[in-house]
Amino acid sequence: MSAASGMAIQKQSPKLTLADRIDIIKNKRFFPLAFPLAMLAVLVVLFAVLTGGQFLQGSVVKNIFNQSFIVGTMATAVAFIYSTGNIDFSVGNVMGLACVFGALAYEVTESMPVMIAVTLVGGIALMMCNCTLCIACHIKPAMVAIVAMSIYSALCTVLVGADPIRVDYQASKALEGGFRYGTFILYFLVCLILYHRTAIGRKLRFIGGNETCAVQTGINTTKAQIIAFVFAGVGVGLAGVYQTIRTTSVAQTVGSGMGMDVMLATVLGGMSIFGGTKSNVYAGLIGAITVTVLNTGLLMLGVSSTMIQGVRGVIFLLLVFLNSERQKTLPSRQQF
Amino acid sequence: MSEKGDVLVTVKDLCKNFGVTVALNHVDMEIHRGEIRGLIGENGSGKSTVTSIIAGIQPATSGEMFYKGKPWHPATSLEATQAGIGIIVQEMGTIPSITVAENIFLGNYEKFRVGPIISKRKMIAAAREALEKIGIMDIDPARVTGSYNMEQRKLIEIAKTMANDPEMFVVDETTTALSENGRELLYRLMRRAADDNKAVVFISHDLDEIMDKCDAVTVLRDGNIIGSLDKEAFDPDLIKKMMIGREIQGDYYRSDMDGYENQVVLKAENLTTMRDLLCFDIELHKGEILGIGGLSECGMHTLGRALYGLEDIVSGQVTLQQSGTRITTPEIAFQHGMGYVSKNRDQESLVMNGTIGVNIQSTGYKANRGLGIFISAKKEKQYAQLQVDSLAIKCNGIFQPVSALSGGNKQKVVFGKWLAADADILILDCPTRGVDIGVKAAMYQLINEMKHKGKSIVLISEELPELCGMSDRLIIMRNGEISGEFLRQDGYDNNKLIDCMI
Repeated sequence: MSAASGMAIQKQSPKLTLADRIDIIKNKRFFPLAFPLAMLAVLVVLFAVLTGGQFLQGSVVKNIFNQSFIVGTMATAVAFIYSTGNIDFSVGNVMGLACVFGALAYEVTESMPVMIAVTLVGGIALMMCNCTLCIACHIKPAMVAIVAMSIYSALCTVLVGADPIRVDYQASKALEGGFRYGTFILYFLVCLILYHRTAIGRKLRFIGGNETCAVQTGINTTKAQIIAFVFAGVGVGLAGVYQTIRTTSVAQTVGSGMGMDVMLATVLGGMSIFGGTKSNVYAGLIGAITVTVLNTGLLMLGVSSTMIQGVRGVIFLLLVFLNSERQKTLPSRQQF
Repeated sequence: MSEKGDVLVTVKDLCKNFGVTVALNHVDMEIHRGEIRGLIGENGSGKSTVTSIIAGIQPATSGEMFYKGKPWHPATSLEATQAGIGIIVQEMGTIPSITVAENIFLGNYEKFRVGPIISKRKMIAAAREALEKIGIMDIDPARVTGSYNMEQRKLIEIAKTMANDPEMFVVDETTTALSENGRELLYRLMRRAADDNKAVVFISHDLDEIMDKCDAVTVLRDGNIIGSLDKEAFDPDLIKKMMIGREIQGDYYRSDMDGYENQVVLKAENLTTMRDLLCFDIELHKGEILGIGGLSECGMHTLGRALYGLEDIVSGQVTLQQSGTRITTPEIAFQHGMGYVSKNRDQESLVMNGTIGVNIQSTGYKANRGLGIFISAKKEKQYAQLQVDSLAIKCNGIFQPVSALSGGNKQKVVFGKWLAADADILILDCPTRGVDIGVKAAMYQLINEMKHKGKSIVLISEELPELCGMSDRLIIMRNGEISGEFLRQDGYDNNKLIDCMI
């Protein structure tokens, strides 16, 4: 060993492996938006070719929108909660119970506006109920969700009974037009702007990234959590209204299992259900449309619905695998 | 039989990339038997990367390694351990929720098998032996690791590494977590291993320590090997120059004797917290750098947290003198122009998978508003870019995740966040921990600049030279109380300070 000169010798940079390259692309800023949209486009083109253009017919497209509406609205709503790194999969049951409240109110008053108002307020109130449990008792939202799911579905069963509660068919179908599109677009835009252009979304994402750090940066995590649940409540209530006017009746099983669909839609839309700084509010909507496109397309190609379940499962697994960030070395190890 | 000076490990043309970041750039190195080799370099120079690749913690992107003359491709650190290469990592390398014995023999339980079950008794006995072998008597191997403090856990880790009788072991910036006794113990182990014809690689930021303990030193910079020196050629100025690639000029700490104003900005009265502090009083003046020192368990870290509203206060209060506001939560503290830099940077001060921008902008949600409550993308971008530029953060831009940065640059991001917020009172808890001298010098200069702008700074540190070099007033704590108070104008006497600490 001899004393060497103090100069650095810069050699050419090493070759990048495929994994490195994928990593770089995945870290590009526009990847979270571009990838799901590209996937959706590929699916649409694929089905359009395979069905000889039938897939692009007006009625099919309309049906896809109608089907993805409810899950899309809820997924947009729940993004506020997911962002903070918390999971609430009871939203399906919350929506169901809100529907039941609305339907019961309709039975008494025979008024659609009252049904809408009660469903909306019901959604918000039930989400606030979840939120209070989280904050006051310091229980993780996922735990609260497990309890809430069984309580709410039990309540639905008790309140509805064996026969579904019916609402007026004509009035419902009338609302499916302008009212539904109008309120949805309004809600989505408000969410988009508040989430991406004000401090609200940034704070929620920052909490999801590192809660301790958020606290030390002066962010009130309790306040943020309440805001997240209120926004989620509005969306869930709205989804409840869409559900009721779509089926024109409320059965006791309404909304069950939908919490999982919401999660699936979120992941398909390219957002991590574990939140963090890369979260957004539009992933759920894109994802919900993707799921419906997939379902409809496969059905049109003559694939059985049980097979579709399987295909969906495989795709879900694949996306979670691609999306999750795994530690390359020991956890929290400073890499160099 | 192997001879002293034989090559034990050879590293040839080794490269490692993390995404676009080049951590190692065609590194060649040889590690010899019978010597303690120091590895030194700034944060992000690749010291930990090269040793962790040798020890099987992570794979290299390309390149070759040879161990005892044969090609060496460890798939896991366990494989490396079994082959005789041990490492004591910079971060916590023990699992808190299991017993000390289980940690020491982690992944190696087979040898304690009696029939179908693992004998705890045998394992504990073996663990006790391993601990005693390195001279630790006061750790009970049957207890849960989490019940021991950081230093003791580090010692457990050392016992774990030494229990395997490694042919070569790496000590990766371990000494900063150890007290004087722990350090002496580690130095003895290193020397004994070298005398037994084993190889030791010692990574440290402390140049004096490296020069004192090592037989040879290799300097890295930006993933390149700059050169190696034998003990006879050791020269602090030369090594520093090799590390940074230029000569360090001017003052490391501040040299001025400027005082501070009489106006008190922050005051704690009769402060009692759930832990550590009992009836504590302290005052911070405008334009003052208030140093707080002591042993790590003396309560100074709790004090820093309490001043920022992060601790549960049992009685007493922290108040801002101008507005009379009581600081009870970090939210109030933040809204009234205070800032806090935690000593646990990666866990508490940063969103690791967030970008540099996201982290810096987190203090500017109000300041970056354009119209009404809406945030202006332009302002927000400038907010972060300004700090990246003025602090010279080494990165590809504000959209790079902080996890890809080196320790020193991460700390710069944390500083940038509070500089951007223009905080009037800054509480810095070990701000230069794990930061190389280049960045350290920049931080000291920043702190001094803030002081001269009339900001008040509480500097909590475990390093006396830093406290003496920077503080206007220095408070030494012991057992949650003030045991001594010193002023810059009187000069600081190291012996007196240490007397107050112990």
